[in-house]
Amino acid sequence: MSYREHLPETEGYPRAAIAINALIALAVTALILWWAADFAVFYEELFRIQPIAEGANAGVGSDWTAGNQIAWLDFMIAITHAADVIMGVFILFMVFLHWGAFRRLAGRMRHPGDSDSSAVAADGGQVADADAPADAAGDGTVDDAAATDGGEAR
Amino acid sequence: MTQLDHGKFSKMTTTFHTLLALDVFVLFFSGYSLMFNDELWWMVGLMGGAQGVSAVHRIAGGGLLTLIVFWMLMMVTTDTGRGNFREILPSKGDFDAFIQDVQFLLGSADERHPNARQFAGGTADEIPLLTYIGKGVVFIFAAELTLLTISGLLIWSKTGVMDIMATKTAAAAFVTFHGLLGVIMLMGVMFHIFEHGFHPALYPVEVKAFIPKSMIPEEHDDDTEGTGIELLELAPSWNMASTVVGAMTVIGIVSVLLGSLFDEGYPVPREIAIGGGPTDILLTVGINMGVFVLLLGLVLQMYGNLLRVRWQKQLEQEASEPTTAADGGHVESDD
Repeated sequence: MSYREHLPETEGYPRAAIAINALIALAVTALILWWAADFAVFYEELFRIQPIAEGANAGVGSDWTAGNQIAWLDFMIAITHAADVIMGVFILFMVFLHWGAFRRLAGRMRHPGDSDSSAVAADGGQVADADAPADAAGDGTVDDAAATDGGEAR
Repeated sequence: MTQLDHGKFSKMTTTFHTLLALDVFVLFFSGYSLMFNDELWWMVGLMGGAQGVSAVHRIAGGGLLTLIVFWMLMMVTTDTGRGNFREILPSKGDFDAFIQDVQFLLGSADERHPNARQFAGGTADEIPLLTYIGKGVVFIFAAELTLLTISGLLIWSKTGVMDIMATKTAAAAFVTFHGLLGVIMLMGVMFHIFEHGFHPALYPVEVKAFIPKSMIPEEHDDDTEGTGIELLELAPSWNMASTVVGAMTVIGIVSVLLGSLFDEGYPVPREIAIGGGPTDILLTVGINMGVFVLLLGLVLQMYGNLLRVRWQKQLEQEASEPTTAADGGHVESDD
């Protein structure tokens, strides 16, 4: 790889560590999945009638009723719903924050067609010296963007 | 030594990022076509029905297990890994960066904080390895993936869970829990795609995630004041593309959030809620938009890798041409 000679010497991860860790990871995965699959019970060995619910709901199928009312499972799911909503609102806020920041940054960049000096001269940015308000309304970005545009129009 | 925007991660990290992204996209497509099957029925069909989807999800789940075990081992067993851990710890600068981002949006700050700057340009020396968002992503995704893996393994054999909990509904509860946990990651990845695909200076993809630092020359012009973003020309399609995808990201996030609230899995409802709740058509369109954003992320990440291959070819070509050897920048270096 002759192109390498112009590139920096970088310190990455040792190849041996990558190879060994990849092998260990594959072995660990196989073990865990083997354990998880072994966890399965043949369905005929599963309970069919488990009258663990008492009172009016007792009897055949009552394990379903009882199992549908486990408080800590219900609580865990309620907590996860809450976490989803809180994180969702936060993530939405971050989307809008970045969207807005991106628009502001984009306003500072040269726009397509502006790149040759004559286009910049004819553009709103230059008019800023004469009538500033018109320009500010024109490109909708902060006025320093226009100033920078002007500065570059050599 | 100077750092460029693009050359920040080692080859192991960029390769890992690509593999993890591919695997997580497959997990999203298979897992959420099950959870939101009313809205994403066509995806279930594409993957061969419920059985096909489960098979795809399990295979990708095995891949995820390998990837996270591998990553943990790399972080613990290598000096580079342990050294990098310090780089991702949150600092006061990260909090300041968040506040300054809000100020930047409102117009009371002129620049983004170095800890928030995705495009550093001339200020590349000031910025840390990861932005405050980058650190948050590492922590939140790591916690999410760990919890998802554990809960996923618990429901790998549902009869086992039923046996231990002595009730069939427990399996439904753990499946619901697993799906709801992933919603945070699902929304986070949509934001991640927007954040790294639609920065005006880096649109349509930030190559730093794909081109390793070993392939990026160190020298660059230091004579620009500030980031130098005003010297760059905006892509003609940026305005339209960022607006459309931004809107789709927002709609997608809101829709999967609403969908996750409507699609009750536990306590198992007495009646089947067909159509996923009261907002049928809107929700269907919205969730499909979210899935489209994910698909776009998948495409952009393949495009990032295509750019890496092209860049390598270009470097090889330049190295083989004698004129390049006589070229400015490189010969001045002291080797």
